[in-house]
Amino acid sequence: MEHPILFISIILEKLGLPIPHGPVGHTLVEQLCAPYMTYTWFTMIFLMVVGKLTLGNLEMVPGKGQNFWEILIGGMDNFFVENMGRDLTDKLFPMIATFALYIAVANLIGLIPGFMSPTSSINTTLALTIIVWITHHIIGIRANGFAYVKHFLGPMPVLIPLMLPIELISNFARLLSLSIRLFGNIMAKETLLGILFMLAGAYFAPLPIMILGVLVSLVQAMVFVLLTVVYFTQSNEHAH
Amino acid sequence: MSKMSKEMIHLLGNYGHIGFTFVAAIFIGMGGGIYLDRKVFDDRTTPWFTFIGLAFGIAAGFKSLFDIIKQQNKD
Repeated sequence: MEHPILFISIILEKLGLPIPHGPVGHTLVEQLCAPYMTYTWFTMIFLMVVGKLTLGNLEMVPGKGQNFWEILIGGMDNFFVENMGRDLTDKLFPMIATFALYIAVANLIGLIPGFMSPTSSINTTLALTIIVWITHHIIGIRANGFAYVKHFLGPMPVLIPLMLPIELISNFARLLSLSIRLFGNIMAKETLLGILFMLAGAYFAPLPIMILGVLVSLVQAMVFVLLTVVYFTQSNEHAH
Repeated sequence: MSKMSKEMIHLLGNYGHIGFTFVAAIFIGMGGGIYLDRKVFDDRTTPWFTFIGLAFGIAAGFKSLFDIIKQQNKD
């Protein structure tokens, strides 16, 4: 298969920085220059610059840019309040909204030639998932104290030896399924686009997949955020 | 957000991860069993913990399906 052209990697190579030829490099500089790292920084810079440009001076009567953000942030706020209540939303809104924006932009960026999705690397998605997983345990412990253990003990005491391993396994399965779903969908999209470009790029063969790619990118970002909200709600409420 | 797309997102979020969750539970259960057999007990108990882990993994997969249905009925 042809190597995809990633313009940040080319620029860094011209600057004399080492670009890893495998998925992950050996030295620290090589690891920092891996494509998923550089494109993660690109996404971060993009979000910051766009936010600064459109929200530089807030006005009473919003202009175009401010209107867009007000609708987006207001919609997300309503959605979180519906699902997990006002208190939890006020505490966790910055984190979940950042995840939503970052994942959506990171997924969509891969559709432009010369870019790649940082989320098509398992390292990025696993990092996001570990943050969510640890946070939902912290929320559970803060809300329920020691009684949080009851979440893992099943409905009655007789069943504890049976239910404890089952509950633990299904809790760890969240870690795996949340990260691999996002990674798998986005990597499949990128690989399919790459293969179609190579086979019949001159006849616009990747175009239908690109349209589907927009849908998949947005839906996966939404599903990740929705599941995050569901996990937070579940660990916040009392055990049965 | 319109009513239709909101419901669609809810359905996707609730049911879209059934397959992955089921498979991940089985993998984690069986992986744990294999780890116990090979690393902790040094191959002395070889097939047993793998099978026990597999059974618990399948049970955990069904339990997570059950949870999804229960949660959907609650709303």
